[in-house]
Amino acid sequence: MKISVIVRQVPHQESVLKISKDETWIDEENLVFITNESDSYALEEGLLLKESQGGEVVVCTLGPERAGQVLKDALAKGADRAIFLRDDSFDRLDSQGMARAFAAALKDEQFDLILLGLQTDDIGNAQLGPILAEELDLPHATLVVGTEMLGRRVKVKQEQEGGWFQHIEMDLPALLTIQSGINKPRYASLRGIMAMKKKEIRDLTAADLGLNTSDLTPDQVLVRLYVPPKIKDTAFLEGAPDEIVAQLVEKLTNEAKVL
Amino acid sequence: MENDTAAHVPTIFYIFAGIALCCFLYNLKRLFTARIGRPEVRSLRPWEVIRNTLYFGVLHLKVSSRQFGYATIMHLCLAWGFITLLFATTVDFLAARGLFLNILPGKDTPWFAALNEIGGLLLILGTVLALIRRHSSIKPEPLPQDALAGRDNLFGDTGVLIFLLLLAVGGFLAESARLAIEQPATAGASFIAYPLTLVLPSDLWQSLQPGLWWSHAILALALIALLPRTKLFHILTGIVNVALTNTSERGTLRPMNIFALMEDPDVDLEGLVLGAGKVEDFTWKQLLDVEACTECARCSSVCPAYATGKPLSPMKIIQAIRHNLYAPAMDDPASMVLVGELISPENLWSCTTCRACMQECPVLVDHITAIVDMRRFLILSEGKPPEDAAAYLEKTAQQGNPWGFPRENRLKWAEDIGLEVPLMADKQEADVLYWVGCAGAYDPRNQAIARAMVAIFQAAEVDYAILGKEENCTGDPVRRMGDEYLFETIAGQNIEKLSKYSYNRIVTTCPHCYQTLGQDYRQLGPAWNVVHHSEYIQELIRQGRLKMDGEVTGRVTYHDACYLGRHNGIYQSPREVIAQTLSWKGELVEMARSHAQSFCCGAGGGNMWYEINQGERINFNRFDQAVEVGADTIVTACAFCMIMLDDARKVRDKEESVQAKDIAELVVENLAPAIPGLGKREEPARVYGE
Repeated sequence: MKISVIVRQVPHQESVLKISKDETWIDEENLVFITNESDSYALEEGLLLKESQGGEVVVCTLGPERAGQVLKDALAKGADRAIFLRDDSFDRLDSQGMARAFAAALKDEQFDLILLGLQTDDIGNAQLGPILAEELDLPHATLVVGTEMLGRRVKVKQEQEGGWFQHIEMDLPALLTIQSGINKPRYASLRGIMAMKKKEIRDLTAADLGLNTSDLTPDQVLVRLYVPPKIKDTAFLEGAPDEIVAQLVEKLTNEAKVL
Repeated sequence: MENDTAAHVPTIFYIFAGIALCCFLYNLKRLFTARIGRPEVRSLRPWEVIRNTLYFGVLHLKVSSRQFGYATIMHLCLAWGFITLLFATTVDFLAARGLFLNILPGKDTPWFAALNEIGGLLLILGTVLALIRRHSSIKPEPLPQDALAGRDNLFGDTGVLIFLLLLAVGGFLAESARLAIEQPATAGASFIAYPLTLVLPSDLWQSLQPGLWWSHAILALALIALLPRTKLFHILTGIVNVALTNTSERGTLRPMNIFALMEDPDVDLEGLVLGAGKVEDFTWKQLLDVEACTECARCSSVCPAYATGKPLSPMKIIQAIRHNLYAPAMDDPASMVLVGELISPENLWSCTTCRACMQECPVLVDHITAIVDMRRFLILSEGKPPEDAAAYLEKTAQQGNPWGFPRENRLKWAEDIGLEVPLMADKQEADVLYWVGCAGAYDPRNQAIARAMVAIFQAAEVDYAILGKEENCTGDPVRRMGDEYLFETIAGQNIEKLSKYSYNRIVTTCPHCYQTLGQDYRQLGPAWNVVHHSEYIQELIRQGRLKMDGEVTGRVTYHDACYLGRHNGIYQSPREVIAQTLSWKGELVEMARSHAQSFCCGAGGGNMWYEINQGERINFNRFDQAVEVGADTIVTACAFCMIMLDDARKVRDKEESVQAKDIAELVVENLAPAIPGLGKREEPARVYGE
């Protein structure tokens, strides 16, 4: 089975974020970047499927130079080779543009399964999976919390609202977006890290992918990024019950002006 | 002197003796099974070998232990009885061949006859004590269940004791028969064998004599022939092992030079051994350790993991390795996979590397390095850290602290209360570099200790500075968990930062940082003068730079941290500092297990970062030990111990009655004059989850 896993690099969840000067992105200096959480689960799912079904896992990312680290981490954990979509024109693509780039990179490889995390921890719009499936004309399922291979079909368990699950089957090839918690991502062994150095990372530019400027012009533009203004203020009233009531009446009369 | 003694010993005995000796030499092959181990260079000085042999081997000074009084007396009887009889038999043998008759005592020299009797008596006493210990209600629980067939030893434990008992009793009977027949003038010196002769008529002794003599002789020769296959093999392996042990290097984890390995383009990934997964992955000395183990179970008896019902028994780990070592040599094909089958990962992860086992081991087995080598195999080769720990390892790699808090927030402990702490980056040089550590920087309880240290530096007018955001985890938890690759990575980053500035010494508040910076980093190159804050505060007090006004009342107990006490031998400094803070109404009480016998808090060896969900929590057990001696304040000198004991205090609902304090906090609260705003601290809120 030939599996592709898309992994993306995002700032560490615990990062102290600062808005950049032009107010359209965050200040990336001093930030620690890691593999997007749900992508790690997608990678683990791919590796588990490879272990049970045989085949190969190809990891793919899109991003600046530093994003190469997520490919190295994935190769160290057991992926077989990597594709790195790297081009200055990929800077600030929207989901549609990214899907076009990934589609161009993956379409000729005849993957049986394309896996990626449900959404990224930075923008979190959860669009890449479904758009990429459309671009490649593949059936897809989102929010996957379990997979089972049935020959040339795959049965998936999807998370629904309110604690419900939905089980669906589809033909391969297919695309699945994976929810965090589906498995336990492995830790890279030193043996894996040493083996990683001998594995292939193929760099592809926009030209290699045959993408032109109109393919990459975003339809969505991030206009302004800002910290939400504080509009709610919670105050604790302290003291004996009588005092609290007096304070409350005073606040409702003079501050809230509802009495 | 009887010159005709030789005539008493038939020639056929010498033939049997020769056969027995050949068997002994053949069976000695067991000793050399350790050769399958990997090379390990021993840097031993001759005087050290001699000292170790005498100290640990002959004089038994490590066998002797107050914690194991009965076993000490038992073993001294057995060993000294055995040694005395070995000496006596050798003299008899030489006399029988007519050798050295002018200098050696004869059978009937009164003191020699009496010595023989004493030896026999000690041996009988020792075996009886041992048999009672193994087969009555006083049997220590961790002592292995015995089978006459033995595990990897012929006759097992009980069988060999019966063997020795028969030998000793048979010796007395044979001697009685001889005395009854020969009636030497000095027979009275044989204070047991001679009275025995009076029990039976002399003509009966006459007819029994050949049978008694031969049965004793055959038994003795059989013992020699089979000794290396029985438990008594430890007499040889124990002595060889202690002789070849470098006592100052016990417990030191071996460097792996992973970075050099990774740069080697010709490295054979398939054949690469990372850690120990199979018996042959250990070094020959580690395997000699394993051969020396007597299964006395002292290690497991004092192990905090074992005591609280965790899967670990240090003795069983050593036994399992030995089983795999002996199985092929003893023609047993049933050798099993070591790590994963004979030794489960949970077994290995339960170890807190507290060193209690190594402290008690009479034959100087190095349990910790064996366990960490197997952990290295699990992590480096298999990529299988404990389930919860993988996240902490990754966080350490990403943010430089195991909690995974942002590096950006590493100074919040000071900034939050507007404390101005000098940075090395600004000063470039200082007398003292204060290593705050991740706990001091991020854990609310330990932040209070870091603030107390600042108060101490200020009060004593110390020229100090910290690394601030340049500081990283030292790598103690990751190293002890077995992730040597990550350790080398972050140690390299720290060494680079530490090498940028000029200072006379590093002061740490955490024994784990103290161990890594002071000992572990030496293996990677630089050696700094690292001081633990207990020693440093003691020095400031002695120099008169800190003036104390001891106001502490009540019962104070000190919990010895494993990496301060057993690993680094610092027991007195913290106690001396505590003594300075006591008022006349305060008293320092010791827990039943203190100093070198201290009981771990449960957080060492990376255990802070994962949970073994089996048995009782170690920190609760330790906390209860403090309550048992009526302590109202538990004083610690370790970041992890503080977190563990402070948690136990809350869970045990003793927040009101028992305080947990670091020595630095105790000192700040008792400074004269007091520092406004920095004494009597408030209980901080715990912000991260349980």
